[in-house]
Parts: sequence; C-alpha cells; structure tokens
Amino acid sequence: MSQNVEILQKKRTRIGIFKFRESILTIVIIGLGGVLSLLTPYFLTSSNISAVLIGLSAEGLVTIGMVMVMIAGEIDLSVGGIMALSSVVAGALFLSGVNIWLSAVVGFVLGALSGFVNGWLVGTRKINSFIITLAMMGMTRGIAYILTQGSPLAIGGVPKLFESFGGGDILGIPIFALIFLSCAVVGEFCLRKVKPFREFYFVGSNVTSARLTGIDVGKTKMRVFILSAMLASLAGILTLSRFLVATPITGTGVELRAIAAAVIGGTSFSGGEGTILGAVLGVLIVNLINNALILLNVSVYWQSFVNGLLLLVVVLIDNFTQKRSQ
Amino acid sequence: MLKKLGVIVTVLVLFASIVGAQSPFQGSPSETYYMITFLSGINFWKACFSGFEAAAELLGVRAVYTGHPTFDINGEVTVFNQVAAKKPAGIAVTAINPDAFVKPINEAIEKGIPVVTFDSDSPDSKRYSFIGVGNKNAGAAAAHFIAKLLGGKGEVALLYSVGQGNVEERVQGFLETVERHYPGLKVVAKVNDGGEQLTATRNMAAALQAHPEIDAIFCVDGVAGVGGAQAVKETGNVGKVKVLAFDVDPAVISYVKSGIIDGTVVQGMSAMGFWSMMALYLLQHNLVPEAYIPKFVDCGVIIATKDNIADVLDAQGLTPTGLPKK
Repeated sequence: MSQNVEILQKKRTRIGIFKFRESILTIVIIGLGGVLSLLTPYFLTSSNISAVLIGLSAEGLVTIGMVMVMIAGEIDLSVGGIMALSSVVAGALFLSGVNIWLSAVVGFVLGALSGFVNGWLVGTRKINSFIITLAMMGMTRGIAYILTQGSPLAIGGVPKLFESFGGGDILGIPIFALIFLSCAVVGEFCLRKVKPFREFYFVGSNVTSARLTGIDVGKTKMRVFILSAMLASLAGILTLSRFLVATPITGTGVELRAIAAAVIGGTSFSGGEGTILGAVLGVLIVNLINNALILLNVSVYWQSFVNGLLLLVVVLIDNFTQKRSQ
Repeated sequence: MLKKLGVIVTVLVLFASIVGAQSPFQGSPSETYYMITFLSGINFWKACFSGFEAAAELLGVRAVYTGHPTFDINGEVTVFNQVAAKKPAGIAVTAINPDAFVKPINEAIEKGIPVVTFDSDSPDSKRYSFIGVGNKNAGAAAAHFIAKLLGGKGEVALLYSVGQGNVEERVQGFLETVERHYPGLKVVAKVNDGGEQLTATRNMAAALQAHPEIDAIFCVDGVAGVGGAQAVKETGNVGKVKVLAFDVDPAVISYVKSGIIDGTVVQGMSAMGFWSMMALYLLQHNLVPEAYIPKFVDCGVIIATKDNIADVLDAQGLTPTGLPKK
C-alpha cells in the first residue's frame, strides 16, 4: 500500500512537470499563430480555422485513445483499421436498407469489439500489443476491403441530423471538432480524477507494483484497448457522416500520426507518463505547421519532411533536458 | 516638326498601352490559381501542372501546385478547404473521391471561387467543368493500335486492376471497339495486376504459360505496363508477344525505347492542366456566359512509340526519361 502512495506522489509531481511542458507547447502554438497571422492575412479567417479544426478532429479523437494506451505501457496500431471498419460496416448496412442510426451503432459496437479482442489478448493472454494490434490492423482494414470490394460506398440521402454530426457547425465551429474537444476534456478529467483511469498510470509505470497494490492489470489493459477502439470507431462514424462515403482507405496512417502527436505532447513510449492536454496540443502543432506550409505555398515535397523533423526536434529536446536533469 | 512627331508617337504609345492593358486575356500577377491533388508530387500531376503553369504564364497570372502527399480523403479535403479559405482566383482539383468532394467544392463555389475538376471528377458537385480523358475513347484508341500491330488478326490478353472504375471503362472501350471493327481479334485472357508490379508480373507470366498463343498484351494501367513487359521478358517472349502499355512510368519509357514495349497510351496530361486554367480564368473574369464553358472536356490520348516518344514526353512537360522538367 505504501508503494501505491509512493507512486501516487511520484505521479503528482510528474503531473506538475507536465504543466510545464504543456505551457511550452501552448507558447509555441500562440507564437506560431502570431507569426502566421503576420505572414498571411488568411490564417485568422474563420474558414481557415474551421478547416484546420475539422481536418484534425478524427486524428484528435484517435490520439486521445492512443495516449491512454501508451500511458498503460502498450501501443495500438489497429486504430486506423478500426476507423475504416466501423465506417464501412455502418455504410454497408445503411445501403442494405437498415436505418442509419442503427447502422452507425452496429459499426461502433463492432469497432469496440475489436478493441475488446485486442485487450483480451494483451491483458489476459499477455501477448505483445505491437503484434496483436498489427494483426488487428490488417484484419479490420481487410474486412473493410472485403465489404466494399475496394470501391467506396456513397450513402447519400441520410437524415440531415446524421449529416450534421460530421459536417455541421455551431456558431461556425465544426460539431466534429466540438465532439473531439469534449472527449478530450472528459478524458483529461478522468485521467486526473477517476480511479479506473488513473490506474493506467500505475500499470504503465510498474506492472509488478500495480499488481501488488491489488490492481487487476489484465482488466485495466482490456479497459484501455476498448476505450481506444471506441474512440477510433467514433472517429470512423463521424468521418462517414462528414463525407457521406465509406471507404476502406479511411484512416490510413492515422495510428502513426496519433503516436507522433502523443509523443510531441509528452507521452512516454515506455508507459506511465502522458496527458491528453499535451497530446491535443501536439495534434494542434502538427496541423498548424501543415496549415502554414499550405498557406505559405511551400512545395508539397516538404510536407512529410517537416512533420518528421518536428518529431525529431521534440524528441531531441526531451533527450537533452532529461540528461541535464539527471 | 520633330516635336509634333514626338507628340504623335507619345499619343500612339499611350493608346497602344491602354489598348494592351484592356486585353481581356491579360491578368494580374496577384491573381493566384491553385491546382490541388492527392498523392501530391507524383510525375503524372507534375505533367498536368506543366500545362496549368503554361496557361498561367500566357495570361500573366500566378499558378501554385499543392496537395496532400498520401491517398487520404481527409488529407486532400483539408488542403482544399485551407486553400479555399485564402479566396484564390480559382481552383482545379482532382477529386480523390467523387462524393467526399461535393460539399467542399460547393462551399468554395458559394464563396465565389471558380472550381473545375480535372482527371478525377466529382460529378454531383457544382464544379463548372470536368477536364479529363474519356476512358472509353482511350480503350478504343488502344484497340485500333493493337489491330494495326497484328494486321487485324490475333489473340490478345488484357492486364489491369480489376474493379477499378476508370480502368474498367478503358477495358470496356477496348472490347466494344474490337467487337465492332475487328472480328479477327480475340481477347483470350483477362489478368488482374493487383495494383502492384510484382503481382502483375507473376500473374501475366502465368497467363502466358497458360495461353502460349497470345500475340499481344494490352496493359490497361500504369502498373500493368511495367509488369506486362517484365513478364514478356522473363518468359522469353520479347518480339513474339507485342505489348501496349498505359501512361509514362519511367520504366515503361525505357522499355518503349528498347523495343520490349511497342507503344504506350499517353493521356493528355498537359492539356488537362492547360484547359483547367483557361476555364478558371474565363470564369474568374466573367468573360463569357457560364453556358460557354463545356461541362466535359476530353483531352484525348496519343499513343507513343519508339519513334515519337521523346516528342510526346516533351509536349507533356516531361524529360525524355519521364521526369518533370521542373
């Protein structure tokens, strides 16, 4: 028990340090925004901000789940496949005559179920999460390909209300982005205050002592994979509602972008550290930089390079500051 | 006297410059037109952009190429929305998915930005025009070429990505032309290239074993061209089996030059870019009623052979090896 208290105290101080990182990221974002609005008059237009926000929302939802999985010391590569699976299942059901709401729920549940399988194999069978979710990534996207036979499924004629979740806006702010931000706020709150969520930190930083303090490690890991899959499914359904088309390519590569954003936001690859706030700021920075490249007419060949460079710079800064503090 | 002449000359020059400035085909360099693609930076788009840029130069306006580096719907739509937020003079976009682009294109047009699609259309959107290649016509041109190559008599295999819309249309155009004009030609095998070179080579080599009587292969897409030629080479059929490829992959070009491939169908890439720019300019400057803008422009194909391939590539803004000039 004393060990648990010790870990808790350690966590508290760490969370204190993270506030430092998050404020640095916030300053960078404000600085970036300032420079951009000086360089181009189009940056601070409502249409540009809303384009950036809706563009990052799906990625952001997935990142929230990824942060939790990484805090618990695991990795989830299947999120992109689950996005495709949930949206394609919902789209295919709708086209076969099922009500769109029911279709969406079934797609969502199937996605969450993939997370359950991930969690069971990683938590209970103790198989490496990289391998399990790599397999699940192939299978989920594979099902999306099989169901669509490779071609996109257009779902025109759905009720306006369904369309508005992914494509509508409230006072000019995309609803998709509002959903993402609410999930982020709730997630951050839970990670700080709610016990089943706080256990992710214990499990991620030291499995043995977590077990000794009476935490059911298997169940905790299952919980985190289900959460990650639910967020990915939600992203898939909202993407379907936004574009009104379900394609097997939905969410391609999103797992790696989510991992990058999480790491930029301070999530540790070895578990036990990370915040959703930081990751949201990470998503924002990556997308603002991409926005800058487009607004400033930078050659398309630089886009991938700059994203890679950003990640490298952040990791290097981490590396140097940690060495100094040691 | 001299003074009078001077006055007359000055008046003439002034008059000429006024008349010059009033030419409706003289734009301003501050007018920026965008070309947006998915898989940004590949040679095909660069060739399209060479035409776009050439037209912009003639009109004295600015042309910018941008896009998203991967095959990702959200990625391309986000770039499109961010470009639209800059209120450019016009946008030519190739739609990664016809349905996903309906809303973004319509929103841009509502803001008063002229939008045309090129290469891949979004027919349900309000885009003013689609400037591309009639796939059926391209298939028909291929049929005429192969008939001429074989003297109107022989057995043909088709190698292509089964199920891919534009490619299937080419196949349809090919089959219809054969049926109507060349009773001596027989299509004996349809082979799937799986969208990938290794698969294309393996499957085509197997088909050549199964049908030793094949006289010619029509490789209906870019991947098939390389795979078909490779299969002919590896099975020792060079010269015996004629090959017609599609598009100008650098490997295809070198095979055309070395005689392994007899010809390749080259799409009017630079024409797509050129006429996209012209249409956007006419719309931006309100020079003609909207009804004067054709809803579909077929930029046609030309079949490049050993004799003319250098000239064909040059006209498409490509170097003799098939790389972008710029």
